[in-house]
Amino acid sequence: MQALLKNWGYKDRRKDKACLVSTVWACLVSVQVLALVCLASGCSEIPPVINPVGQTEMPVDSTARKVLIEEFTGVRCVNCPAGTAEVLRLQDQYQGQVIAVALHAGSFAQPYPDSEVDFRIPETASLLTYLKSPLGYPSAVVNRRLFEGERDLQLSKSLWPVFVEEEASRPAEVQLELVVQYNDTDRELLVDVAMTALQEITAEPLKLSVMLVEDRVSDVQLTPGGKQSDYVHRHNLRDMLTAFNGNGINGGLPLAETINRNYFYTLPPEWRAEACAIIAFVHLDGEVKDVLQVEKRKLIE
Amino acid sequence: MYPRIVLLIFLGGLSLSAKSQQWENTPQISGNFQANANFFIRDSLIGAANTPQYDRQLYGAEGWLNLNYSNWGFDFGLRLDVFNNSNLLNPTDSYSGEGIGNWFVRKRIGDLELAGGYIYDQIGSGIIFRAFEERPLLIDNALRGFKLKYFFNDNLSVKAFTGRQKQLFDTYDSVIKGINFEAFLEPDPRSGLTLAPGLGIVNRTLDDGSMNALVASINTYTPEQAFVPNYNTYAFTFYNTLTTGGFTWYLETAFKTEDAINDPFAELIIGGDTTTTDRFINQPGSVLYTSLAYASRGLGITLEAKRTENFTFRTRPQVQLNRGLVNFLPPMARVNTYRLLARYNAATQELGEMALQADMSYAPKRNLRFNLNISNIWNLENELLYRELFTEASFKPNKTTSVKAGVQFQQYNQRIYEFKPGADLLEGWTPYLDVLMEIGNRRALRLEAQYKIVGENEANGLKQDYGDWAFVLAEYSVAPDWTFSISDMYNLTPGENSPIDASGRRRGLHYPRLDVSYTRGTNRFDLSYVKQVEGVVCTGGICRLEPAFSGFRFTVNSSF
Repeated sequence: MQALLKNWGYKDRRKDKACLVSTVWACLVSVQVLALVCLASGCSEIPPVINPVGQTEMPVDSTARKVLIEEFTGVRCVNCPAGTAEVLRLQDQYQGQVIAVALHAGSFAQPYPDSEVDFRIPETASLLTYLKSPLGYPSAVVNRRLFEGERDLQLSKSLWPVFVEEEASRPAEVQLELVVQYNDTDRELLVDVAMTALQEITAEPLKLSVMLVEDRVSDVQLTPGGKQSDYVHRHNLRDMLTAFNGNGINGGLPLAETINRNYFYTLPPEWRAEACAIIAFVHLDGEVKDVLQVEKRKLIE
Repeated sequence: MYPRIVLLIFLGGLSLSAKSQQWENTPQISGNFQANANFFIRDSLIGAANTPQYDRQLYGAEGWLNLNYSNWGFDFGLRLDVFNNSNLLNPTDSYSGEGIGNWFVRKRIGDLELAGGYIYDQIGSGIIFRAFEERPLLIDNALRGFKLKYFFNDNLSVKAFTGRQKQLFDTYDSVIKGINFEAFLEPDPRSGLTLAPGLGIVNRTLDDGSMNALVASINTYTPEQAFVPNYNTYAFTFYNTLTTGGFTWYLETAFKTEDAINDPFAELIIGGDTTTTDRFINQPGSVLYTSLAYASRGLGITLEAKRTENFTFRTRPQVQLNRGLVNFLPPMARVNTYRLLARYNAATQELGEMALQADMSYAPKRNLRFNLNISNIWNLENELLYRELFTEASFKPNKTTSVKAGVQFQQYNQRIYEFKPGADLLEGWTPYLDVLMEIGNRRALRLEAQYKIVGENEANGLKQDYGDWAFVLAEYSVAPDWTFSISDMYNLTPGENSPIDASGRRRGLHYPRLDVSYTRGTNRFDLSYVKQVEGVVCTGGICRLEPAFSGFRFTVNSSF
């Protein structure tokens, strides 16, 4: 003990010994107290309210904005089927208020030698660059909004529910009427988009993007169980009727005034018209890229 | 505004010191500079393509200028970080930003040491808390806050800290605080027995945003999978280093209270009929780590064991990969430096791992040394994750020549480490040879050869992963200034994941590299032409998948 005291910088006097002992006791007691305080406060915190809903449907407010979820995926991404399942669950939960599009882009999207479809198109690559590449897949952008506390537009799967909920509860700023006329004989379609500002919109530039998606395409996909040749790929972006970052709405959207835009398109023969749909959305295209409203119509209802 | 305040503090410190230097000790300024510039040359065949740098930016750089100033009992630190189209943050994206990446003010007042600003520190071996920087992976998780350290005497101290974790030039919102007692005991100096015990507690309080996001996720679970998460998570550790004679025994045991952690393999039931994986679980965690080292003349032995269960500790549960790490789990496999030996690395598995490692070094003669390293890592279901047997003999036959030769055997669970479903346990044998010859006045030639032979995938008859590799290197150095090296890594027998060309043939590709280094004083310049295969890059036990690289790389390192 004497050696220990010397080692600790104390001389072998009784009061030094008492001082050392009290110091050690003070340390031990403080640790005990700290541990108790920590544990006690851990037990006493008021927990958040959990309400597991599973597949319970959420009521849709007709005046609320719809939510665009752009899911970045790839046939070589093993975790992407789980991402798609989560998107489908959100769509079920919000009863048509969530509109999804799958963008095959990046290194995970390179087709396998036995893939029949290359889902990559120049627009998906451009959108990946435009919305910034995520750190990992699956990843999605919700209404192209940079949410508080987040660094990127790209969000990992665990963040989709909270931000879809946040967006779905915001009032709509724009009303979108989307009419799609499809002629099955010549496979031509006419898209009419009518946009009406419900609030004064001062931010600019304001743009309109129109996408063509094909749902339920069966092809190869890497899954946790291995390569699956008949995986059903959902809501795949096939083409855009506007530029990848939208076409400008010159003059903006004056309050309560309806602005129309029309688009003609011929559907390529390899795409199934009954599985195709048009997605149109009004969005900003500056530092802020928020989607103000989105709408979807099938070619054949 | 914020960087200006920091700069004012720093310049204020300089001015204060300048005024006071006439009656105080001499001021000291020191620092260092590191910068990398990458010039990207697109090569689709090796996968060096489809990133902003390859497609249009063609250039990316990052740099750090670090200044330290001491005077009048104060230490000041300031670091300028610059990222220009850098791929360091996200290898497939581009990031630009610049600002004050680190600053601190430190002062010792009697037995109390105060520090404010960015804090880099750790408790024990870092199992419950480590704030550190690893530039190759752009990990920089300092705490922005305060640290106090009180020295009861030379052998007993306590430190406490509080802050928020750095996120580039911002911080995460969760608050992290901790306390750490450390002591040094030498009961009898004649016995040679010493003890260095320590005790630490760390608490992380989740911010409301992270909790709201977590609750929204949990609300999508079935009632059976749902749980009530805690705002506060506590981690405790006790550790001790016992030294006697030639033995050093380190023991650390850590425990973490219930915490919402992401388990990528946990089943998630969606809609009652769809089952996927990847969800949050609410589990306590634990780590037991011990190492026993013995050293005597010519002989060194280190034995290590570690058991990890649910010890993911992040500043918020939503962050992934190497972001938001509060702690650091020591790796349990050898850190290899030879190119092909380092091809497959065992990233630390935070959710569950049982690992053993033995490292031995024996030198029967002054010019002969043998090294042996064995590591085995399993998950908690007893599935083998990684096994390595490394042998090396170093021989110096005369004053001008030294030879190293050995062989490495690896088994690597690619399915777990790289999420490649269906991948067999990858096996590889890698013999290697390294010869260094001094060939005249201050000139030396070093030759390196490695050959990696991997196993076959029985299902398709192809070699596993990228197949067999050969690597050769020649390095010529003129001390102390110049070093020139040329190397090539060649995919001798392409494997199942090797690139396929337009004709559908698996191509064996060359990955050449040229390096020129110039060192003068404390300045070092490196210019390289690099073609680098994609792979998992690790620093310590933290790894990430790095895409292939093709282009020129220029690096400057300087200190003053």
